Amino acid sequence: MLPIAAPALPLDEAGKYVAGAYVVFVVLILIYVAIMAAKLQRIERELTELASFAEQRGNHEGHPGGNPDTPGREAEDVSGSGSEEAARINV
Amino acid sequence: MYGKGLRTLSIATVAMIAASLALVFFYAPLDADQGFIQKIFYLHVPLATVALVGFVVGGIYAIQHLRTGDSRYDMRSYVAIHMSVIFGVGVLLTGSIWAKASWGHWWVWDEPTLVSFLIVFLLYATYYPFRYAIEDRDRQARYASVFAITAGAFVPLNFVAVRLAQSLVHPRVFATADGGLPGQMWLTFLASLAAMALLWVTLVKFEMTAKNASAQLSRLRRALDREGSGAGSGNARIAPGVATRPD
Repeated sequence: MLPIAAPALPLDEAGKYVAGAYVVFVVLILIYVAIMAAKLQRIERELTELASFAEQRGNHEGHPGGNPDTPGREAEDVSGSGSEEAARINV
Repeated sequence: MYGKGLRTLSIATVAMIAASLALVFFYAPLDADQGFIQKIFYLHVPLATVALVGFVVGGIYAIQHLRTGDSRYDMRSYVAIHMSVIFGVGVLLTGSIWAKASWGHWWVWDEPTLVSFLIVFLLYATYYPFRYAIEDRDRQARYASVFAITAGAFVPLNFVAVRLAQSLVHPRVFATADGGLPGQMWLTFLASLAAMALLWVTLVKFEMTAKNASAQLSRLRRALDREGSGAGSGNARIAPGVATRPD
């Protein structure tokens, strides 16, 4: 049972375990990045939706709500100027 | 703005991981007893160290949250714990692979180091249902902070208890009668530890940036919604259910 006393595995057998461990680590990171990418897509979609809404409302009220070439500028302004008090955890 | 410096940090992390992998496979000598399988040590131990330190960091942020009432510390505590749980999954998986190769078993129940880490991991796995079982946001944050502090204090206690158990099974490579790790292995280990620590910091920053972006988006929705309803323009709400949606 003692690993200290255990003989070293031959390289062809040890190699697959070492590769397995490092691959597991990489896969774990990739899964995390994929989940984060999905969240980022959702944020982008909502931001686009908000930008369109703000533009539409600006047009209805007679003062354009933003430059159509730069959708999402409203969001930048708000997030940039406000404190981070509103930084709450999203479920 | 949590995203500031994220690109530089990411590049530094990738460079450090590449350097540490190069050291692991081309610089560090083969272990006399375990041979090539010992290369898992440079992944498994730094992952475990960073995960455990991350749990403690989560507890420290929780203390700051309770002291100041600032919700940003609650978010930092949550993200630190979240990332450490992910690293914990990596520790358990790589540890099992190493155990199988070294001991012939995926898991050894009578080994204190393994079981104690599993207990810590399961303890933190209960953080999520505990947190989200509470609907009121302020109470949720406060109770989660109390949990994070208690569990964070348990981590070093657990570490000391395991050390005192003096297991003969888990290898103690840092301090043995023969003098511990040779210099090349130490250097490689420290590089791997730095790489893992950088990865943890980068992912925590990444996660906080995403959460902040999402929170600011909700804030923008609410602001536009208030403006719309205040002006009495008759426009529809920005998104159905915005007011009731947890942000």
